[in-house]
Amino acid sequence: MAQGETGIIGKGIVIRGNLTGGGDLVIEGRVEGQIALKNHLTIEGTGRVQADIRAEELTINGEASGNIDASTRVAINASAKVAGDIKAPRVVIEDGAVFNGSIEMDVKLPDDI
Amino acid sequence: MANTVIGSSIVIDGEISGDEVLVIQGTVKGKISLKESLYVEGSGVVEADIETQNVEIAGRVTGNIVASDKVELKTDCRVVGDIKAPRILIADGASFKGNVDMDMKER
Amino acid sequence: MATAKELAGNTVDNTVVGPSILISGRLTGDEDLTVRGRVEGELTLSRTLIVEPSGVVKANVAVKNAIVSGVVVGNINATESVELTHEGRMVGDIRAPRVIIVDGASFRGRVDMGDVEPGRLPAERPAVNRPQATTRPTVRPGATPPRPPTPSAAPPRAATPPAPPPPPARTAPAPTGPATVVSRPASKPLPPPPPAAPAFTPRAAEPPRPAATDQASSASAPVPRVVAAGAKKKVVVKKSR
Repeated sequence: MAQGETGIIGKGIVIRGNLTGGGDLVIEGRVEGQIALKNHLTIEGTGRVQADIRAEELTINGEASGNIDASTRVAINASAKVAGDIKAPRVVIEDGAVFNGSIEMDVKLPDDI
Repeated sequence: MANTVIGSSIVIDGEISGDEVLVIQGTVKGKISLKESLYVEGSGVVEADIETQNVEIAGRVTGNIVASDKVELKTDCRVVGDIKAPRILIADGASFKGNVDMDMKER
Repeated sequence: MATAKELAGNTVDNTVVGPSILISGRLTGDEDLTVRGRVEGELTLSRTLIVEPSGVVKANVAVKNAIVSGVVVGNINATESVELTHEGRMVGDIRAPRVIIVDGASFRGRVDMGDVEPGRLPAERPAVNRPQATTRPTVRPGATPPRPPTPSAAPPRAATPPAPPPPPARTAPAPTGPATVVSRPASKPLPPPPPAAPAFTPRAAEPPRPAATDQASSASAPVPRVVAAGAKKKVVVKKSR
């Protein structure tokens, strides 16, 4: 997959298995299995993903279940439904989003706690 | 102006400590130690030992009070406990039961 | 609760814990509470807790709403919402129907928004899988953890005993391990998957595929990996911008 290009998995597509690549990816269809991406993954409103996801950045507008490991940021937008554990330095959950699972960010607490 | 206000519907069971003005309109049970002034307003109920600089009580207090400066019991207050302070003012209409000790070492 | 406030007359509307104040113990109330100082122990409010940037709450919190701009260490149980603002830092579990985490906030712990959505996915899956998935009752590692608490998970489980499937279901725990309670065949096998879930092992992904066969096109399922790899490439190239 070419760097810097944006791939799209269209609405009618169902993928089962491993998905790896270097470019940005937009999922409008269904993916089941595993996703490992070097760049930005976007799950659109119509997207349904049941997979462990590893990516640099992840934006979810649709449904995702599985564990998520992002090296920069995970954004769970208002229309998203997400279940699983998230590990990322920045995680954003918008009002209206549904999320169940755990979140692991680096939390800097005061010394006296 | 007071920084800390314990509102009328609040109940605290435990300890309050700090060095700023505290206003109690609710209920505090346990212990209060402050380096500043404490105001127990009309709706305030305190069941605690109090250690502070100044206290002004218009509500109810059950417990011993030690103030480094002054204790003032306002009209309609009800206080049960021992008071130890260099200056103690008890207004007409205040109800108080306990010992008063104004004999500070400095005097 | 409103009456208590009216009785108080000319009182300040909400309670403020100033920056230098430490309250340790149990705090309850029916009004908003703003924390600029420190509260430790247990905090129960029928209204809103506001933890300002200077505020530290080290307590188990039960409130209607919570807005965290400071530090919270402990669990928050809110009947309405919990919001971590861009300055908010929290370690603990959140349970609330609405949870908002703004960019800049940091958080470590679990989020439980209830069974709003997970009720749907797991509910339809077990119904299909359980009868024949006797050898691997733990189908979807990622999805299983939220399932137990959801009420919607109960019906399928409760329905299992009367239905024909129970005999196979009963045999499943036997090889797996210890004497299981017959009424809850699924509850025993469940614990193992969570530990396995975090890792990105291919194993974690495999169970779903065969199981999913019966929901969707069973024809394409047997050769998932090859097809998927090929499909992926084609699709990706297809619409590249």
